[in-house]
Amino acid sequence: MSENILPPEEDNVGAPDQEFLPVENYGAEQIRVLEGLEAVRLRPAMYIGSTGVEGLHHLVYEVVDNSVDEALNGYCTRIEVTIHINNSVTVVDNGRGIPTDTYEQTGKSAAEIVLTVLHAGGKFDDGSYKVSGGLHGVGVSVVNALSARMDVQIWRDGKVYELGFERGVPAKEFTQTGTTRRRGTKVTFRPDPQIFETLEFSYDTIAARLRELSFLNKGLEIVLEDLRSDRKETFRYDGGIASFVEYLNTNKNVLHPEPIHFETQRDDVVIEAAMQYNDGYSETVFSFANNINTHEGGSHLSGFRAALTRTVNAYGQKEDLLKDLKENPTGEDIREGLVAVISVKLKNPQFEGQTKTKLGNSEVRGLVEAAVNESLGAFLEQNPSVARRVLTKVVEAARAREAARKARDLTRRKGALETALLPGKLADCQERDPALCEIYIVEGDSAGGSAKQGRDRKFQAILPIRGKILNVEKARFDKMLGNAEIATMISAFGTGIGKEDFDSEKLRYHRIIIMTDADVDGAHIRTLLLTFFYRQMPELMERGHIYIAQPPLYGIRHGKSIRYLKDEQEMEEFLMKRATDGVSVTVEKTGTEYSGEGLIQAVRMMRERSAIWEKLNRRLQHGELLDRLLEAIAGEGGVFDQGFTLHQLFEQKELLSSLCPAIEDIGYDCRILEDEEHGLFSLEAVNHAKGNRVELNREFFSSAEWQRLFELYAGMVPLGKPPLTVRENGNLVSVGSGEELLDYLRKLGRKDLTVQRYKGLGEMNPEQLWETTMNPETRTMLRVTIDDAVQTDAIFTILMGDAVEPRRRFIEDNALNVRNLDI
Amino acid sequence: MIVPCPRCGKETEMTGNPYRPFCSERCQLLDLGNWVTGAYRIAGKEDEDEDGGPPPPREGQK
Repeated sequence: MSENILPPEEDNVGAPDQEFLPVENYGAEQIRVLEGLEAVRLRPAMYIGSTGVEGLHHLVYEVVDNSVDEALNGYCTRIEVTIHINNSVTVVDNGRGIPTDTYEQTGKSAAEIVLTVLHAGGKFDDGSYKVSGGLHGVGVSVVNALSARMDVQIWRDGKVYELGFERGVPAKEFTQTGTTRRRGTKVTFRPDPQIFETLEFSYDTIAARLRELSFLNKGLEIVLEDLRSDRKETFRYDGGIASFVEYLNTNKNVLHPEPIHFETQRDDVVIEAAMQYNDGYSETVFSFANNINTHEGGSHLSGFRAALTRTVNAYGQKEDLLKDLKENPTGEDIREGLVAVISVKLKNPQFEGQTKTKLGNSEVRGLVEAAVNESLGAFLEQNPSVARRVLTKVVEAARAREAARKARDLTRRKGALETALLPGKLADCQERDPALCEIYIVEGDSAGGSAKQGRDRKFQAILPIRGKILNVEKARFDKMLGNAEIATMISAFGTGIGKEDFDSEKLRYHRIIIMTDADVDGAHIRTLLLTFFYRQMPELMERGHIYIAQPPLYGIRHGKSIRYLKDEQEMEEFLMKRATDGVSVTVEKTGTEYSGEGLIQAVRMMRERSAIWEKLNRRLQHGELLDRLLEAIAGEGGVFDQGFTLHQLFEQKELLSSLCPAIEDIGYDCRILEDEEHGLFSLEAVNHAKGNRVELNREFFSSAEWQRLFELYAGMVPLGKPPLTVRENGNLVSVGSGEELLDYLRKLGRKDLTVQRYKGLGEMNPEQLWETTMNPETRTMLRVTIDDAVQTDAIFTILMGDAVEPRRRFIEDNALNVRNLDI
Repeated sequence: MIVPCPRCGKETEMTGNPYRPFCSERCQLLDLGNWVTGAYRIAGKEDEDEDGGPPPPREGQK
């Protein structure tokens, strides 16, 4: 190689670092001869691990490590590695150059000895290198022994020296070839095909190690060039291992922008650590001792871990951030999402373990621990917002671990003997084929009792659960599924729970039927159960195993026959049909007569009207106002009757004013306001006596309820014009209003009937429950789909949520249903 | 099918997702923990009788 691969001369000569340690200290006297090279060629794997691809690459690392050693000691700032087309490699540095003076005992140059004698090198003498890495510490002589050819050029003390070898045997005499102003060493070697199974160097493998080295030696520039493919990269990280951590966190969401980074020295040991959390769950911690990647860890890593656990816990305790946890976070919790690099540099590293990548120096543990305790503790104190983010993450990890353990405890305690330990409350069925089996989940003991007596024990199992607890502090009943309820269900189903245990193939019943009371409590329990199944056993829902029973809300007795109706709606329809049978209604003023299907239709509209009226009245808080508005807009001679639309009403000031008299009549003060933004008017009505104020504008009437009410009001005008005459079996009755008519018909519908409303399942006797709800021949059930469940989950989230407003609105919107339930 | 993760709200694909309807094992686990510890409660109304009577009349205006 020509000299132009090195930076300009002035960069290399007289580097200020030289002042630390004079070049003369590293001379022939310090080199001790230990062994010859034949042994290396005989058993190469003993020295470089293997003769495969890994061993081949170790050759490069070994040579580069010599240069890095120079950098470690402050003499070298740049290393260039070149892969040639014949798979030989050149490593050039701007260090001090291998010593060239003559070694007294043998008369050979120090360079020759370093390159030919095993374990020869300055680093084996404490006095020379303060710290030193080097793979296995075998030295460059091993590389020489395993190379078909090695050429070395040394620039030192203003002179240029060259020497060469073939398979470790000198092939070119050590000679001074000229003078120079540059400084450093250049080693070119071609691995011996007689030794290696493969000779092909991998650019990426070498690049990865060189990048790592540049991280570990901040400011050191390492250039890698591959002449086979013309790839070239320069590695230089002035941030050192902090840059390393940032590099490892590339494309991750980090919890804090800057890595936590500190460097300190204790008892001759240089300790450097950098760490940064991301929002993931894995732990990425690299440890290094003297630039060697200690894959197996060792004393520095255990010191780091111990200090991390202790410091983070101490901070969490002090700041009261761990109060939600039953036990302190473990080291694993604290290392979740952690990316960290810990690097120590020390004088006499002891490497242990299978691959000699475990740091053995026991004194290092305490030193690292103390250093990390101090530096990390100070960092957390000074950066409370970062600390809080880290602690939040740690607490979540700890909670997840607790949750996982509890879930395991819940099921595994009973898991071993499965069916032998079915929950005591379960009344199991006789059938063993899951495809034929059903399980009813019934809330409440009394309902459970009825269900147990009413079922077909051959294939129907009953599991009663309790879903309510008294919240003592607030004196109210909260609905929940307790630990015991959850455990009971899981063990009855036989499926297990959680990622590792859940197995839908083990399901013991292919129909899981939720049977709850038809009241608010029952609805809440059903919501809880459905939400639990959806979230933690979605597969059961996907496979269509989950059902909701449809117990009737009403039982209607007529003589000896009984009829069941599932809800309010069905009940009303039934009664109205019965009431209008053989009945006609005449509007006296117009002579219009309603009967049969026409009457049912008219009555249905009146009922709908009255339901909407109720709902709007709850909003408006004044029924009379509601009626007046309806009449003025949709009534006879009203806005619609005059051929105007609702939109026109708010466009025309005069028209809008025409509403006023009707409202003023019932104690309101009216004022027309102008909405310039929309070019519309609005009407402000204030009733001081009632403390009621409404603003009537286009938006006010835009709801679906108002639209429908206008429609119904218009369509109902005939029946809305009392008096009405009801003709029934020759009887004539006159009623004064629509409401009265409805009441009359209701009574008529109930005539001779005994209506029972089942508040709870327990009010039905076992035979009734079987007949209406459990008998496969006659029952109806709803099969729950995932879509249903997604909606249930949304409701659950509202009911559970902290957001008061959506919760309030949900309960209000459903208040009508609740009211119906309790008529 | 995309659903919101019940725990963190993140849009989550159901199909082929082993943690469905959750976005991650973490969210699934934390939710399970809440069930197991009875943290999920639907608050009943104060002074409510055992059968769940009608809600108190609304106060306030429209």
